[in-house]
Amino acid sequence: MRQMKSTLLALALLCSALLFAAGCSDNKPKEAPKAAEAPKTEAPAPAAAPAAAADVLKVGTLSPLTGPYAADGNDIANGARAAVEVIKDQGGIPGFKDIVVQAEDSNCDPRQAVAAANKLINEKVPVVVGAYCSSATIPASEVLAEAKIVMITPASTNEKVTERGLKYMFRTCGRDDDQSKAAISFIKNQLKVDTVFIVDDKTTYSQGLADNLEKLAGAQGVKVLGHEHVNQGDKDFSAVLTQVKAANPAVFYVSLQNSASGALMFIQAKRMGITAKLLAQDAVYHPQLMEIAKADAEGAFLTFGYTDKETPAYKAFYAKYQPKYGEPGAYSTYAYDSAMAYLMAVKAAGSTDPDKVRAALLSLEFQGASKKIDYLENGDSGSNYIIQMVKDGKFTNYWNPETGTLY
Amino acid sequence: MEYFIQQLINGITLGGVYALVALGYTMVYGIIQLINFAHGEFFAAGGYMGVILISWLAAQGVPPTICLVLSLGLTMGYCALLATAVEQVAYRPLRQSSRLSVLLSALGMSIFLQNGLMLTQGVYDRAYPTEITRGGLHFGMVTFSYMQILIVAVTAILLVGLNALVFRTRIGKAMRATAQDKTMSALVGINSGRIISLTFAVGAGLAAAAGIMVGLYYGSVRYDMGFVPGIKAFAAAVLGGIGNITGAMLGGFIIGMVEIMAAGYISSEYKDVFAFIILIAVLYFMPTGIMGENVDDTRV
Repeated sequence: MRQMKSTLLALALLCSALLFAAGCSDNKPKEAPKAAEAPKTEAPAPAAAPAAAADVLKVGTLSPLTGPYAADGNDIANGARAAVEVIKDQGGIPGFKDIVVQAEDSNCDPRQAVAAANKLINEKVPVVVGAYCSSATIPASEVLAEAKIVMITPASTNEKVTERGLKYMFRTCGRDDDQSKAAISFIKNQLKVDTVFIVDDKTTYSQGLADNLEKLAGAQGVKVLGHEHVNQGDKDFSAVLTQVKAANPAVFYVSLQNSASGALMFIQAKRMGITAKLLAQDAVYHPQLMEIAKADAEGAFLTFGYTDKETPAYKAFYAKYQPKYGEPGAYSTYAYDSAMAYLMAVKAAGSTDPDKVRAALLSLEFQGASKKIDYLENGDSGSNYIIQMVKDGKFTNYWNPETGTLY
Repeated sequence: MEYFIQQLINGITLGGVYALVALGYTMVYGIIQLINFAHGEFFAAGGYMGVILISWLAAQGVPPTICLVLSLGLTMGYCALLATAVEQVAYRPLRQSSRLSVLLSALGMSIFLQNGLMLTQGVYDRAYPTEITRGGLHFGMVTFSYMQILIVAVTAILLVGLNALVFRTRIGKAMRATAQDKTMSALVGINSGRIISLTFAVGAGLAAAAGIMVGLYYGSVRYDMGFVPGIKAFAAAVLGGIGNITGAMLGGFIIGMVEIMAAGYISSEYKDVFAFIILIAVLYFMPTGIMGENVDDTRV
């Protein structure tokens, strides 16, 4: 009896401890719980109208909803949700009773991404918006291609994504070869310096980008003082940063897959007294960067697609997105545009037949929230990388590699 | 030379963190021969409790030094209580069952705690207020950041304190007696159940201290932050000779140092490889670890 009592006491303590921790968590809006709620509200839809299942248009999303890349992953799912809501507000799509979003978790893991893609195939979605990590997008897209499902990636920038001749593969964001060109042009023509130290974390995306930069640097006469690799999920960069400090480059190029890791890199670099200019890429681009690194992120440069926040398309997106999901992240607009493009194509084609939709997507041309979207034959939609700078805790447009002028 | 000294400082800092976490593994193993897989979760829980307390105290206008000391103390206390509760729920009922059942229970507890953290704290990184620990001392090329000094100092204090507790007090004596022979120590009047709980609590307290310092040092915490340091610390405990407290400290510093030196002189790509090569090499020549005693069959 006594033991029973003490066990109960312990259980109570355990629960209260967890609850206390919950109570103390910050009261900022968190997207995660919403992501968890969403499937619940979607689930009854097919059950309520089993006979008319074909009348429900399911938009699948594939992105890391948990794990280290959850911030970007949830932005993608939420971006697609916002697009669906906007289309529904406009009266939906003729021939479909309802449009729902089915968000699946790829966890940035090739195996899980393929499993999630198979699940979406079973759910009979005609389109998948995703995935996030190129290393997950590529294997998932092979599976989806066999099932003739249109895939539009809002975030995978590795060149290979659209270079495998997959008919139903589209990309709303830019490409890494263009991104590294913008970076090298910035180093050479704006900063006018000639030494760089490169660090990547060995993902298809981050290493691909870093390798591109190294190649371009050689051709442009910029000296690469070192190219180091760290592991995904590393927190301690002191050893590699000591190398950077000893090499004393003018630019320190940080190609990590994750904004939180990027923030840790920035903090530790500043603490170590590294004075090189920090240059990062689009995976480090996320408001989380400043949240964690705070003042240590000030003055850092990033390559990111140019978004005109004054267009009506962006304003419509923002008005829908911000109240429900908080400030947009790096890929919210791209996911929104990807889903939007698909829904517009379905509307134009009058069906979800992949070939008809592909034709409609190719002939589509519209001003999206992120950029002007016009898909090419290979599925790309062009890049428009610019250099952004962290200023007063915000990303601001800094330099345009096209014109070579400051904003 | 300066480069080497800098890497040495980096290695000691990282090693200190591993040592603190490794102690929890080794103490629990020493007393009930259980590899407590949930131990890394106490580290993560400590990291989160730390950020909650520090942010809250700082918002109340408490001066930074007091704020740090207070949060460190409270967080260690919280994790000690949490560990006691975990022990009561997941391990005590299985005291008489096979070792495998307890091991599974530990794995389950680890998953439970990690997911609990994820549910209550979200999947995102949580930022630590790093303003209080900015800057450092510069000697030419070498930088000794205040945070590194803090980690080394706190680790040293805790290690000395733990040594005093285990080797100089009656409670420590009871712990060592229970580790040697539970039945016999119970016969001479030691409440072995309480001593086991206490061991869990002390180990978790140390892990919590490591968690809070890692949070401050790196600037953020995440729900799954306990996994990798947990594995490394476990390796450190095995390297030092699991069950041996001095061995765990030594193992922690060795793993930390090897990792940093491998990253600094070879490539950070392979730092984990070298850490585990050392582990394998040591275990090949010294199967019980560096400080491990000969283990008789009642303890394997």
